[in-house]
Amino acid sequence: MRIVPAPDELTAPYWTAAHERRLTIQRCTHCARLSHPPVVCCPRCHHGTFRWDEMSGHGSIYAFTVVAHSVHPVSAGATPYMIALVELAEGPRILANLRNCDVDHVRIGLPVAVLFEAVDDAVALPQFTPAQSPIEEPA
Amino acid sequence: MGQTPLTRAAEESVLELAVSASLEALADAGVDPSEVDGLLRFGGPFETVSHGSLVRNLGIRELSYYGEVPLGGEASAGMIHHAVGALLSGRASVVLAYRAIKQSGGNRFGRADQALHGGAPVDEDIVMGGDLAFTWPYWMMAPAHLFALWASRYMAENEISEAQFRDALARVALEQRAYANRRPGALLHHKTLDRDQFEAARMISWPLNLFMICLENDGACAVVVTTEDRAAQLDCAPAPILATCQSLAPDHEPMSMYAEDLLEIFPSSGRERLWADAGIGPGDISVAQLYDASSLMTLLSLELYGFVSRGQAWKHVSEHGIGPESPLPVNTHGGHLADGYVQGMTGLVEAVRQLRGTAVNQIPDATTSFYGGVSGSAVVFGAPSVVERVRAEAAS
Repeated sequence: MRIVPAPDELTAPYWTAAHERRLTIQRCTHCARLSHPPVVCCPRCHHGTFRWDEMSGHGSIYAFTVVAHSVHPVSAGATPYMIALVELAEGPRILANLRNCDVDHVRIGLPVAVLFEAVDDAVALPQFTPAQSPIEEPA
Repeated sequence: MGQTPLTRAAEESVLELAVSASLEALADAGVDPSEVDGLLRFGGPFETVSHGSLVRNLGIRELSYYGEVPLGGEASAGMIHHAVGALLSGRASVVLAYRAIKQSGGNRFGRADQALHGGAPVDEDIVMGGDLAFTWPYWMMAPAHLFALWASRYMAENEISEAQFRDALARVALEQRAYANRRPGALLHHKTLDRDQFEAARMISWPLNLFMICLENDGACAVVVTTEDRAAQLDCAPAPILATCQSLAPDHEPMSMYAEDLLEIFPSSGRERLWADAGIGPGDISVAQLYDASSLMTLLSLELYGFVSRGQAWKHVSEHGIGPESPLPVNTHGGHLADGYVQGMTGLVEAVRQLRGTAVNQIPDATTSFYGGVSGSAVVFGAPSVVERVRAEAAS
């Protein structure tokens, strides 16, 4: 059993890019606002045309938990696992699991980098792992 | 107000529970069901008892106003907000609001596989669309997972250790359990809790352990809301409503995780509106019932509604507690942690009991009573003497 994201009209570009091992976020072509989850109307300027910008894949942990108790057959026997809200260097936050990370090592502010995990032949999930070296903040 | 017993597995159907709580609420108010012309419920899919089936079973003559309030637990106070709107606009004169829940029959909040989106044979994939496609594939599937993310921020932003965090939430858990131990009818009435048991509890989603998360059970609550004029004719101790509020702002939807400030569950303008409408302030409240799907919510509500400053609730609770002797007794029925869970409604009815002076754990001389959900849905009650004073101040 797996849980597979179903791309729809709004989110298909995100999942297509992830399948190509690229992390993209929706950006308004008019005012350049980044939105995640994606929107149909830019909440800042109300324009409705967007492009999908590739992110650096770097960020830091904004919030996290270590799940110890499975609430679904999909995670039975797979606890503990880590969920983190990752703040991308470009600003938006996305949810992911932390991979290759010791539970004693995880902390808010920890620099992380994206990696991709195939769910099946068509879908891959962006995930995060502790960054190998300190990441410079973009100017 | 009416409330069925809370049980782990009720013999009655969820409709029977709703009918039972509704009839009790109407009898308590001294209102005949035929007089009800407004009906409110939680938004689907949370509430499974339809308006139609309740109308048919209660013998309501005709509704001129009915509706539902979405987004989960916020609906408990949200329904009162809507009821007041309907009464003030004249669209209804007697409004019944209800919530019936039967988690023993499936749809447990603590088990994602039985829940609204997760049911699938174990040998099949679950395909998840929309915004949930950004969370479920990461196995973020239960409310406690989100509360745990909040908790990690709460400790980091307030620069407190896990030990300090546990001290605060242990105080909440132990004192709410003590309230429940004194109160027959609470689900954990016969089960005591000490600090050693609290510390030994299994972790659910770090840093939240079993005793920082609410119960699951069956039961129903209902309340009757009417105009001041109609209430004056009833043979029932009223609980006058000073103010109600709701709040919904971008990225601040209940259970959202994308707000710029994750711990600002609702904007401060919601709190300002509530107290301005009430004509009193948080310092005037005698006793508060705060929605506690997790006891962390109790801390957040103390801060967000202005009872203490932002970031100070853990300290306030650690030093003063929430028991009967504390400056602000909280969740005097035992709360969702120890009394039981009807998605906020048990706190709402306890707020009414406290104002009427009929609570088991009655706070002496309670002239004001507060009920609040964590996302900016709240009700402020005031005794007739307080209503009079507020009116006099407003007129002067």
